[in-house]
Amino acid sequence: MKKLLFMLVLAVASVSVLAGCSGGNALVIWVGSESQEFYAEKMDLYVEEYNSTHEEKFPYKISVLAADTGTAAATFLDDPEAGADIFTVAHDNLGKLTAGSSAIAPVTNPDLLAQIAADNPDPFLEVIKASVGGVEYTFGVPYVAQDLVLYYNTDYITATQVETWEGILDAAIASNKQALSLTGTDGFNNSFLVLARNAETNESTLKIYEGGVQEECYARGDDTVAVMKWGQRFFTHPNGAKAPTDSGWETELHNVISLSVIAGSWDFGPAKAALGSKLGVAVLPTFTITEDDAYGTVEAGTVFQSGTFVDTKMFVMKKNSEKAAYLQDIMLYLSSKEMQEESFEEAENLPAYKNAPIEFEAFLEDTVEAELARAQVEMFQYGMPQPFGYSTKFNTYYYSKGAPDLIMDILENTDDLFTEDSAILAQLEIIETIWKTGIRPE
Amino acid sequence: MMKQMSGAQAPVKYRSVKAAERSSTAVSYLILILLSLIWLYPILWIILNSIRTEYNDQNQLIGIVVSHYFPKQLGFENFVNLFRNTLFPRWFLNTLFVSSISFVLSTLLTLTVAYVMSKLRFSFRKKFLNLAIILGLFPGFMSMIAIYYILKALQLTQTLFALILVYSAGAGLGFYVAKGFFDIIPNSLIESARLDGANNAKVFTKIILPISKPIIIYTALLAFTGPWMDFIFARVILGETNREMHTVAVGLYYMLYGERVDSNVFTIFTAGCVIVAIPIVSLFLAMQKYYIEGVTAGSVKG
Amino acid sequence: MQNLEQRVGKHCRFSRFISGFARFFRRTWNGMQKRIKAFAFRFKDGSVGTKLSHFVAGAGNFYHKQFIKGSLYLLLYVGFLYLMIFSPEVNSTPIGFKALINFITLGTEAGDIFTPTDNSMLMLLFGVVTIGIIFIYVFAHMSSISSSYKADLDVRDGRHPSTFKEDLNDLMDGRFHVAMLTPALIGIIVFTVLPTIFMILIAFTNFDSAHPAGQVLFDWVGFENFANIFSGTGEISVRFGPVLGWTMVWAFFATSTNYIGGILLALLINKKQIKLKKLWRTVFVITIALPQFISLLAMRNLLSEYGPINSFLINVGFIDQPIQFLANASNPWTARITIIVINIWIGVPYTMLMTSGILMNVPADLYEAAQIDGANKRQTFFNITVPYILFVTAPYLITSFIGNITSFNVIYLLTGGAPTVSGYKAGSTDLLVTWLYKLTIDESEYNIGSVVAIITFIITATVTLISYRRSKTYKEEDAFQ
Repeated sequence: MKKLLFMLVLAVASVSVLAGCSGGNALVIWVGSESQEFYAEKMDLYVEEYNSTHEEKFPYKISVLAADTGTAAATFLDDPEAGADIFTVAHDNLGKLTAGSSAIAPVTNPDLLAQIAADNPDPFLEVIKASVGGVEYTFGVPYVAQDLVLYYNTDYITATQVETWEGILDAAIASNKQALSLTGTDGFNNSFLVLARNAETNESTLKIYEGGVQEECYARGDDTVAVMKWGQRFFTHPNGAKAPTDSGWETELHNVISLSVIAGSWDFGPAKAALGSKLGVAVLPTFTITEDDAYGTVEAGTVFQSGTFVDTKMFVMKKNSEKAAYLQDIMLYLSSKEMQEESFEEAENLPAYKNAPIEFEAFLEDTVEAELARAQVEMFQYGMPQPFGYSTKFNTYYYSKGAPDLIMDILENTDDLFTEDSAILAQLEIIETIWKTGIRPE
Repeated sequence: MMKQMSGAQAPVKYRSVKAAERSSTAVSYLILILLSLIWLYPILWIILNSIRTEYNDQNQLIGIVVSHYFPKQLGFENFVNLFRNTLFPRWFLNTLFVSSISFVLSTLLTLTVAYVMSKLRFSFRKKFLNLAIILGLFPGFMSMIAIYYILKALQLTQTLFALILVYSAGAGLGFYVAKGFFDIIPNSLIESARLDGANNAKVFTKIILPISKPIIIYTALLAFTGPWMDFIFARVILGETNREMHTVAVGLYYMLYGERVDSNVFTIFTAGCVIVAIPIVSLFLAMQKYYIEGVTAGSVKG
Repeated sequence: MQNLEQRVGKHCRFSRFISGFARFFRRTWNGMQKRIKAFAFRFKDGSVGTKLSHFVAGAGNFYHKQFIKGSLYLLLYVGFLYLMIFSPEVNSTPIGFKALINFITLGTEAGDIFTPTDNSMLMLLFGVVTIGIIFIYVFAHMSSISSSYKADLDVRDGRHPSTFKEDLNDLMDGRFHVAMLTPALIGIIVFTVLPTIFMILIAFTNFDSAHPAGQVLFDWVGFENFANIFSGTGEISVRFGPVLGWTMVWAFFATSTNYIGGILLALLINKKQIKLKKLWRTVFVITIALPQFISLLAMRNLLSEYGPINSFLINVGFIDQPIQFLANASNPWTARITIIVINIWIGVPYTMLMTSGILMNVPADLYEAAQIDGANKRQTFFNITVPYILFVTAPYLITSFIGNITSFNVIYLLTGGAPTVSGYKAGSTDLLVTWLYKLTIDESEYNIGSVVAIITFIITATVTLISYRRSKTYKEEDAFQ
């Protein structure tokens, strides 16, 4: 007993010494956990460079910490004073961060503004801005892009079959498996159908907060109805798509319950572990409207391309930071094209700058990682940046007020309620109302 | 049935009772074995996952959840990864630090309060009892933000000391079980000691504590194991990004529950679980006797 | 006594409850009057030192040459004044006198992109904290006055004022409860009472997702949230009833299954013929010792659609399609029953241990009496053992029921409230507390969450009050007084 107590005291003492060591006034940067090491190294180089070119030393210790980019905005807002000086969020969090008097500071450095304007594709330039007090500012500095792609089992699905959902379904029927697993039923994961667009025109009748206007939502167009009808057949087919289960899509891929999954680059690790060399990555497939699905102006034979939301992960900075003078220069450094490319090579972060697919030769390699990069880049053409950054409300209305569940109800034809076109249309009207107002009509 | 049988002749009755008893014992054992299997089934699964080291055809460790119960390959790579590639050793020491201090403080606090409430009579005693009951009924996590900022006002957030403080401060309300134990101790014991000239403090330390080993151990055991299990309060107080300060529960929690987590670390997670479970479970088993006494004392007196 | 109880009848219990409240207020009022009188008397009757103590804490102690005690009080006095006057800031929000003003306004500076907004949430919190500090301080100051007055009386009666050492000795004896309870009380006030008051007050503000603290000011709205909560088509009005209903069903079944199961298991293990009792008990103790975030996570995965249990059942040909134990959206009762069953796994060992302990402690005289009456084993068991267990564990049932109403881990870790109810945050297995968690932590609807918390509290408090008042323990407590 005495020995045990002695050991305890020893352990306690040693930890208290350790606990006492940290501290000091640091300049804190939060990045996704997958790239924490990479950016930590880069910031060391930055400080070295700074110290060799400036008279005085860089005044702060820099600490680069890992934070879940999905929840970083919420974590920051819980206590902004204790939050990072620079942190990474997905662009759709901008509304939350800039509500009221804003918790983050706008970009003002002309060099940085110029770099942002020169490097980024137009859709990104739209979504990194927000209005505070009636004035529009640029808040975000994009440095990573991401969207949804298809991971599939190459043992069962051939390279030709993977181009269309019909091909994948054939493969699934042949082997009596499920064609597709989803990682979730939320508004993000259903975007492959909701945002599907006419493959010929690359357009859709669907509108979500177009131009950042709350009223500009439209879900009752012919395209949407036809896509929903097609989706319903795909989801209700015994070998078709299946709603996520509590086993997780990783298990479903690994045990070959499903042949493919729609997921993002953040799911690449588990997908690769699940399938090994059998893992294929592809652009989300197309599908063809049949007699059964034709609706209004959308005739049988029309080909649709599955859609996706496109996200940019971007740096933002704390408002009223006493280190403000240094922050924008650091962001300029961290978001440069070269840095984005290195970040891809080291941490598999997909560059956000607009000519990456043409300019960046690492994309052309014959690895599954490069395949992922190419698929993501190609998906950008069929994608749409989440238009929710303009206001916190949009994000809540679109994701959290029940619309995704109602869409799943149509696709799964819950209780056989959605066999008739009119029922689908009525449901779509409810969904549209929720998008616009956040309120579900009686 | 029984009555009829007892009416039969003596020798027959004797034998049949014996036989019935033997078969009922067999059934009892059977049920116990079955129940034990059910109870151990999930625990064994965690252990098996921690030593599951299956590789895919690219020689990559398959760390996701799989649907077969028994692993196809065994090894200790998950433990190696846990200690090399995560901050687990640090989390372990942190938790040990927090629980070692907070269990001493909490036990002291709980026992003294329980004793005072049980054996002393003073003006605001009843009020304190009622306050303790009422406060116990409010859902705790609503006040987490408040506690976070109160700690911040004390300049303590994101430190292990904050956790110690919060865990120990709550101990003052958890006196019910120990009070139930002290209630059973006869007052005459205390009175005779008082007559011998012992003051209240002496009575507590010299008379009460020595005969209270079960409840001391029970209280200490719960206080010590608490920090190893709490993933809600500790998460708020320590913060996500401050990984070096995490306790095991928080660290393991963030391994698995995030919006953008790599689900290929499940087997490493279970390795962590096993390491956490070993000391706690062995403590519980070693102290089982006292734990039972504590549980009994507390629940009976409510 | 019992006859009286019966005669009073059921309907009178309520009126007794009300009269209890009336008595409480009358007593409080009388107590306050007495205290004010005593205060005035002391001021008139006390020495110069005691009079001075009213303005400067510790002055009277210095007057009586109790220097250590005096300095302690003085230190407290200076510290308090410093805090109140200089109002130190946390996250640019003061604690101290300024906090009292902020508590009323909840901030005035709306801020813009360049200037910060007043943080209404912190202003509310620090207002509460400051009021708490004032209360604690007033208490300490009063004790400084009365300690000085006590010294006055000592001198008057020809004794010497108590020395510091004597005071310490007194703390170890006559005022032992003060010494022991003070640290506990401070801890409770700072980390439980103040946060709870803060939480209750939020129900009277418009602090929600549209008013994030530090970005948009929020304000007092009176009873508006309570008025709105049961009207309209909002989440609360639609989902409150079902969630409350399920919470009660859950609490009932979780309590009763664990109770019955635990007792049966204990009886089984404690059968005379069973050998290796300790080993069997150990098997079940492991479940208690294992952190729930581990064991429940294992359960969740084992029971998942393609998990080991389903694969096993399919392999042995028991079923052909996997059972959705925890995620069957079309029939929420599948998940609910599964959860209650899993909870047996979690809770039964605990009741088993408790009952085992009781079985070892059945008073021997009960058995002896039965033996004298010529009872056989079976009769002894049903007439002595079982009633005894039921009798002594009755209070446990109450605590356990309340514990289950507010139990969080099982649902949070097993299903997170799923299966979801289309269009609402509260799923089919959400309890009031897990729903509360979603409303506040995930959705930032703090005011609504606070209202739900208050309602939850009223429910649990009612259950507690009714059962405690009727329980034997409580009456015994009364008898002690």
